[in-house]
Amino acid sequence: MDLLFYALVVQIASIIVIASVRNNHKASAAAHLLLTAGLVLGLSSSFPALVFSNSSSLNFSSLLNPANIFRFDSLGLFFLNIIQLVAIPTTIYSHSYLRHYIDEGKSVTSNFIFFVLMIVSTQVVVIANHAILFLICWEVMSTTAYLGILFEKEKRDVQTGSFYYLAVSHVAVFLLYIFFFLLHQQTNSWLMSDFHNLQNTGSLFILLYTLGLTAFGIKSGFMPFHFWLPRAHPIAPTIFSAFLSGIIIKMGIYGIFRTYQFFNYAPEWLGWLVLGISLISAIFGVWYALAQHDIKRLLAYHSVENIGIIGIGIGVGFIGSAYNSLPIQILGFGGALLHTLNHAIFKTLLFIGSGVIYQNLGTRNIESMGGLVHRSRYFFILFLIGSIAISGLPPFNGFISEFIIFNGFFTTAKELKNYYPLLMIISAVGLAFVGGLAVACFTKINSIMFLGTERKEIKKFHISNYEYLSLSILAFFCVLIGVYPQPFIGIVNKVLNNGFVTANHSSELLNINWLFISIIFIALLAAIILIFFLKRLIQKKYGKRISAPWGCGYEGLNYRMQYTASSYADELNEIPKSILVYHKKVQSPKGIFPAKGSFESHSVDLIDSKILLPAFRSMSKLICRIKFLSYTDIRYYIAFILITITIYSVIAFLWN
Amino acid sequence: MVFIQSCSHSIIQLMIGNFSVLASLGYKLIKNIMQNVLSILFCLSLFYLSVTSRVKAYVTVLQFQGVLLTVLLVFPFIGHFSIYALILPATLFFVKVILIPKYIKKIILDLDIKRTIEPTIQQITFLLIIIFSMTIIFIISNVLSKSTDIETIPFASGFTAIAVGIFVIIYRKKLIVHVAGFLVLENGIFLFGTAVASELPMMIEIGVLLDVFVVVFLMGIAINKISSTLSGFDVTALGRLKD
Repeated sequence: MDLLFYALVVQIASIIVIASVRNNHKASAAAHLLLTAGLVLGLSSSFPALVFSNSSSLNFSSLLNPANIFRFDSLGLFFLNIIQLVAIPTTIYSHSYLRHYIDEGKSVTSNFIFFVLMIVSTQVVVIANHAILFLICWEVMSTTAYLGILFEKEKRDVQTGSFYYLAVSHVAVFLLYIFFFLLHQQTNSWLMSDFHNLQNTGSLFILLYTLGLTAFGIKSGFMPFHFWLPRAHPIAPTIFSAFLSGIIIKMGIYGIFRTYQFFNYAPEWLGWLVLGISLISAIFGVWYALAQHDIKRLLAYHSVENIGIIGIGIGVGFIGSAYNSLPIQILGFGGALLHTLNHAIFKTLLFIGSGVIYQNLGTRNIESMGGLVHRSRYFFILFLIGSIAISGLPPFNGFISEFIIFNGFFTTAKELKNYYPLLMIISAVGLAFVGGLAVACFTKINSIMFLGTERKEIKKFHISNYEYLSLSILAFFCVLIGVYPQPFIGIVNKVLNNGFVTANHSSELLNINWLFISIIFIALLAAIILIFFLKRLIQKKYGKRISAPWGCGYEGLNYRMQYTASSYADELNEIPKSILVYHKKVQSPKGIFPAKGSFESHSVDLIDSKILLPAFRSMSKLICRIKFLSYTDIRYYIAFILITITIYSVIAFLWN
Repeated sequence: MVFIQSCSHSIIQLMIGNFSVLASLGYKLIKNIMQNVLSILFCLSLFYLSVTSRVKAYVTVLQFQGVLLTVLLVFPFIGHFSIYALILPATLFFVKVILIPKYIKKIILDLDIKRTIEPTIQQITFLLIIIFSMTIIFIISNVLSKSTDIETIPFASGFTAIAVGIFVIIYRKKLIVHVAGFLVLENGIFLFGTAVASELPMMIEIGVLLDVFVVVFLMGIAINKISSTLSGFDVTALGRLKD
């Protein structure tokens, strides 16, 4: 594994390149090349380690790994592979993304440095064994992401959004400190490998579990704590929002898996709690997404949804753990792990796609886009692949992981008789509902953005080869995992066998007839391609007829008379109106010769606008009450300190 | 016998060996007595600090306290001498007796600071406050020393110095006097440290020392800047910086 260490060094070296060379374009190209090389090198060391080795852990040579501060178990390596896999296309895209800013004359050096530091620290987070190292890297990861988000810091919403992110990640880190210090107190060791099989210690057990799950849950954005995602993701530079959504929120999932690994047991109520929260996250995440007009905000809410789906898998696994049932655990955790990989891939694809659109059109508002398919057909196909995959439709990767989770539901119903079948059917219906809403959401954005005619004049729509390359890499994996899932299932199965499930080589995952699924999917893809060529053939023979749509006899059709995103989603958004805080302002045209009419629809986050902001407002009011103690002279403050110390000393003295 | 053996060592070690012969009967006792004497001298310097109204006197007191602390640190090494043990006293002497006072004097000269310290309360009241707090601290230390292993007089002196440092900051207006008050407070912590554990880890002490030097340095720069923007060296003038 020494190769990995050198890979990290190469990645960091790209900082030196960009910082030391003046010529911006060449420096940026060289630095990106170096970073990509480092990542490929890292992947080439971590991937074989995950796939081929039989032992559950590998090590650096003792010189590089004093006192076992790093660990290479299957779970860490699995996440390391995801990080590197996603970071490569993001870096390739970053090259073409930052070029725009260099052309504008803006310095990108600091931004790139933060990007590299974020990638490197995230990689170290998953291989860290020493808790303090873990916390340090976690902190570096959070702060560099924050600094990266601040790229366009002169904008007002960038300031507020990044502050949300910073505040939330610090709450999470604070809880993590308590969590790890308590673990240290229990085990007298700082190494995570020593935290395993912690004794079941009564009330502390519950406290530890709650702390861990809350801290990591905040980071991954489960429903009550999701409010920072739609604030921070839209305003971040695309490379950061892609990495935030693709990887950094997955670090929360990584943490949850680790927390489970420490105890290797989960009580049943916890399973139900996680399952319930995740279902709510998934359903309302996608519903909120449906009500958005800002494409990045929409994708951020989809992250909440997908984290919910991952959480559903974890919840099922917890229930299996409570009943000590191997198949349920494997299907639940396996589905969650595979969906983590899948979501990282297609969410990065979609975020990079949205970044490409934003770069070209200068807007993130879906309502002012349209007709992009005529500009670039291949881009449309790539974006469509991501959209289908995230909706969980065959034949792409999203379907595979959701399929495993569905299997988990039905296996739970089969294994634990009693009232479980009913509850599991409700959960399955919930998950299916999520899929349906996701389809609605992505048909909405794809049809509005790509189909129809242009709503705003597009001056130029240029997609560079780097952008195509990075999107294609991600789309390739979407298709690959969808069509040929066996090797990936094998990897997940191995991770489970090496870290979670005590019994050996249970092959619940492999028992599913993946070959049939592959054959069906390949047939499906073949059919689509066949139909496409058939269409081409017919078009060649009979020609293509282009005409305006039927306008009920109205002649003066223009670009404004198209189906809009709001009207498409309106019916669905009306249902949970109060939860989505969905407002409509309609001013309908009146009279025989109507002069003016307008329509507006908004949705704001319930937690954010109705709970969080009022709470903080009243808190600041409360704090204003003690403003009379504020003096301009420092001597008063020192006197206050003296008084406080005296009071404490007196109490301490009397205590004895 | 002991004397002959020590002849083969260096001259310094020879002298110290002499001491150790003398002290072999009541080494602990002598050390204690010396420590107490030095601590009481330290307290007296605090009294002087509370009645003087000259800025320069503050600097002199700081120098004096630095010398006292240096001597206090040399004592534990009389029995078993090593060259490394001298690093801390030497650094202390250099920083507290030479470097910082020189720097403060330079600031006073450069900025043409007036000689009086501009107290906000009468000197006699200030003295009374200090006497009162010192009495309480000594009584408490005496009570504490019965239950815990501390040496009463150095402990109480250090504690008093901390209190005096804070009082100086609270009741004086001039920024340069604040710096002096801060240094007295730090001296108190030092003395306190020697009383609680017979020797704090040396690295920590040196760290604290460097810390203090940097703080004084920064304060000097700050005072320089303030004097160039606001005419006056009072903390009351700083209130105008509030937004």
